[in-house]
Amino acid sequence: MNRGLLAKSIREATLVTVMLSAALMLIEGILSYVLPTVMQDFSATLLQLPFFRTIIQALLGADVGDQLVPQTFVAIAWVHPTVLALVWTQAIVFCTRVPAGEIDRGTIDMLLGLPVSRWQVYVAETIVFLGSGLVMLLMALIGHRLGIMSVAAEDRPGIGTMLVIVANLYCMFAAVGGLAFMVSAIGYRRGRAISVVFGILIFSFMLNFLVQFWAPARVFAFLGVLNYYQPLPTVRTGDWPIGDMLALLTFGAVFWTAGGFWFARRDICTV
Amino acid sequence: MIEIERLTRRYGSRTGVEGVSLRIDAGSLFGFLGPNGSGKTTTIRVLLGFLRPTEGRASLFGRDCWQAGRQIRQDVGYLPGDLRLYPSWTGQQYLKLFGQIRRRDIAAAGGDLADRFSLDMAVPVRKMSRGMRQKLGLLLALAHEPQLLILDEPTASLDPLMQEQLLQLLRALAEKGHTVFFSSHTLSEVERLCDRVAIVREGRLVADETLETLRGRARRRFTIRWVRLTDAADVKPPPFLAVDERRNRTWDGSLTGETPQLVQWAATQPIEDLTIGHPDLDSLFRRYYAHGPEADAS
Repeated sequence: MNRGLLAKSIREATLVTVMLSAALMLIEGILSYVLPTVMQDFSATLLQLPFFRTIIQALLGADVGDQLVPQTFVAIAWVHPTVLALVWTQAIVFCTRVPAGEIDRGTIDMLLGLPVSRWQVYVAETIVFLGSGLVMLLMALIGHRLGIMSVAAEDRPGIGTMLVIVANLYCMFAAVGGLAFMVSAIGYRRGRAISVVFGILIFSFMLNFLVQFWAPARVFAFLGVLNYYQPLPTVRTGDWPIGDMLALLTFGAVFWTAGGFWFARRDICTV
Repeated sequence: MIEIERLTRRYGSRTGVEGVSLRIDAGSLFGFLGPNGSGKTTTIRVLLGFLRPTEGRASLFGRDCWQAGRQIRQDVGYLPGDLRLYPSWTGQQYLKLFGQIRRRDIAAAGGDLADRFSLDMAVPVRKMSRGMRQKLGLLLALAHEPQLLILDEPTASLDPLMQEQLLQLLRALAEKGHTVFFSSHTLSEVERLCDRVAIVREGRLVADETLETLRGRARRRFTIRWVRLTDAADVKPPPFLAVDERRNRTWDGSLTGETPQLVQWAATQPIEDLTIGHPDLDSLFRRYYAHGPEADAS
């Protein structure tokens, strides 16, 4: 691996990664603190509202039962739209930088004028991307552990369970990254690549809600990325969602590989 | 060193270059001339492995540019025509990055070039003027002392003194056996530097000659001042003179034949003064740009 390419990628990604990681830690900490302490008092009332119940169910991908217990709040803290938005933003912003971003701003001429193959550039970006995901989710986990200290020790999920959830989220992060890499490899404009991936994720998110309300949509539930990331069953059982994680990793790997081949064979035009 | 055979590159229905063939030996100072949009940059992008030829092939150091791009670029220094750099990076950071990627220690050579170009390497790119950015681009292309330099419009944004410095540097490199592929639309700088010139127009190569040959082909300008106004009006120009303008007793034009022909003919005419200029490469190139190979015939 070319150290220079890694150094370049790290330098380019550091600021955004630090900012989004800090934001994720903060949000995760706040949610983990606020949800169990504040919402528990209203949970019984809130669950009387059918729409609220459906939304929570759609968010978590599983029935919450008649009462919101601490485990439910933990799960909500990991599927909250703000958390998903931050994780997806990191994946989309990072993975559309090369090649679409480099082509867009014209800097790819200098980069590919060096003795590096396009696969080397692509792999270096991917390694740093995966590393940035680890940093980000570790920060989120720290935020969560700090926030949840207000919950009684016996109601807190163990660190092992939390690592399973984080691993599942990391697989989703990798899958979204793989998709973003592929879209970026095909395009010439970063803004367009971001819009396309963002649009797909919004569709996926909405699909996840739709299947709760509309039975015919359930046929397409497998297309929703959140179909493979459901922390509530994990919090309840502590089991590894191996099938979901493998599905996410497979999607990511397929998209990423397709993007790599496309990038390696495409023409590079900046003028 | 550089071999291009019947290279054609199309972008959909538009043609970038068509049927271009070139062979450039090591140690050459090769000028690649053409107006904007004529196919110079397309040719360069094929040489660097950015674009795949639609037809034909291009190779550097005996290796195919598309297949072996990474290995080839080890010994290539490249300056893009539209240079874009990461705004937050300083020259020093760029130099370090390029050294790491090339796996060579280029700090000392880069420092020398920075001194030579009077470039402050601690300034981030976003605070650099266009000229400074161009100097940094040149420095990065030159610091590893490549066997082949591919420079696309390298003097853009450089002041005349800096342009001269650059040309001196390139001449010195060529003397040491390095090859320079110098793309430009400005004749004067190519004329000052290169020993061979190819002209591309609308994607086609319309000339590929040594500068000496082109000079021999270029017409000389002449001015004839007649003794009487009536002579200027009545005398019919011989076939080897193309008179562009008649003002009072003066003819201005270009010599399409040989100089002795003009001298012999002038000796028989009532002429007060005759001036014959140097070969006018400028007008030759303009004709190439405007008409292509048929310029030769005219």
